[in-house]
Amino acid sequence: MEFEEYASARGQELVRLGFTISGDYQRAEDLAQIALMQAFRSWRKVQRADDPHHYVRRILINSYLSMTRRRSFTEAPAADLDTDRTVPDPAADIVNSDDLWRALATLSARERVVLVLRYYQDLDDRTIADLLGIKPSSVRATASRALAALRKTRQSHRVDERLS
Amino acid sequence: MSKTELETVQELEEGLRATFERAAASVPPAADLAGRATTGAHNAQRRTWLTSGAAAAAVAVIAAVGFSLHGSSESTPQPAAGNPTTPAVSNATAPSATAQAVTGSWRPVELDGFKALKTARPEDPIITFNADGTWVGSDGCNSLSGTYSIGQRGEFTSKSNGQRLVGCENVPHTAVLQASQRIVSDQKELTFFAGDGREVARYARAR
Repeated sequence: MEFEEYASARGQELVRLGFTISGDYQRAEDLAQIALMQAFRSWRKVQRADDPHHYVRRILINSYLSMTRRRSFTEAPAADLDTDRTVPDPAADIVNSDDLWRALATLSARERVVLVLRYYQDLDDRTIADLLGIKPSSVRATASRALAALRKTRQSHRVDERLS
Repeated sequence: MSKTELETVQELEEGLRATFERAAASVPPAADLAGRATTGAHNAQRRTWLTSGAAAAAVAVIAAVGFSLHGSSESTPQPAAGNPTTPAVSNATAPSATAQAVTGSWRPVELDGFKALKTARPEDPIITFNADGTWVGSDGCNSLSGTYSIGQRGEFTSKSNGQRLVGCENVPHTAVLQASQRIVSDQKELTFFAGDGREVARYARAR
C-alpha cells in the first residue's frame, strides 16, 4: 500500500482517534498530521510492519502522551484566547452535553488513552500494552482506576443534580 | 464484585462505547491529510538537506583557503566565526572549538535538565553552524536561527532570532546557546559550557 493510499483510507480515522483521546478538534488534526508525517518519512519501514495502521496509531498515541508531559501543556485552555485566530470547533456543541464526555476530561492522559483504545478501538489489553510500551497488568490496573474514577465523578454529579 | 456493581460497570462500559462513537462521528472531515503530511515531511527534509549542503560547502571553502595559505604563514591568527575569509589554522591539541571545527550540522546527545531527546518529532532537532557566523536549526517543530561567534580560546556568544512556538517536545537549542560561554570540539563532538564551567550540552556531528 502506498502512503497516499493509506492516508486517504485511514487519515480520518486518525483524526477521530486524536479527538477521542484529546477532546480537542484542532489538536486531533495536529496529532493525525504529525503521525502521518512521521509515517511518511519512514514509509518503507511502516509498509513492512505486520499492521501499518497499528504502527501509525502508535506514533499518534505516543505523540499525544509526549505532548501532555510538557510543562506548557494545558488540557483545556480557557484564558487569553486570540478569538480572531480561534477556529470554532463544530464537535464541541455535540459532545458538551454528555456528562460522561466531561467526566473523561478529569482523567489523566494515560487513563483516557487506555479507555479509548479499549472501548473505542476495541483493542485487547495485550495490544494496548504493546502500543503504550507497558505491561498488560498495568493496562488492566490503569483501566480499572479510570473506570472507578469515572463512576465516582458520575455519582457526585448525580448527587449535585439532585441537590440543585 | 456484586451483581449491582457488575451491572454498573457494564453500564459504564456501554456508555463509554456510545460516547466515543458519538464523539468520533462528530469530527468533521479533515481536508487533504495526505497532501499536508507529504508537504510537511518534504519541507522538513529539504531544510535538512539545504542546511547540511550549505554547511558542507562552507567547510570545503574554508578548508581549501586554509590549506592554500597554511604554507605561506605559520602564525596566521585564529578566525572568528563572523569572519570566514580569514584563514583557519588547524590546532588538534587545543581543546577549544574553532569556527572551522563547529561548522556543520549537529544533533543533541545530552542537554542538561532535558530528558526527552529521543521523543519522536515532526522534524530532526539538529542545529547547523554556518561559517558566516549564522546558525540555523530546528527544535523538532519550529525553525530556529541566529548568529554566533567564537573567540580564540573557545569563548562563545550567540544571539537568537524570533521563532514560532508550535508545541511538541521542543529541544531547547536556543536556551543551550544562550547559557553557553565556552565551546569545545574535537570535530566529532561539540560541548557547551556555562560561565561557571558547568557542562550545558553535548552534541554529535549529524550525518
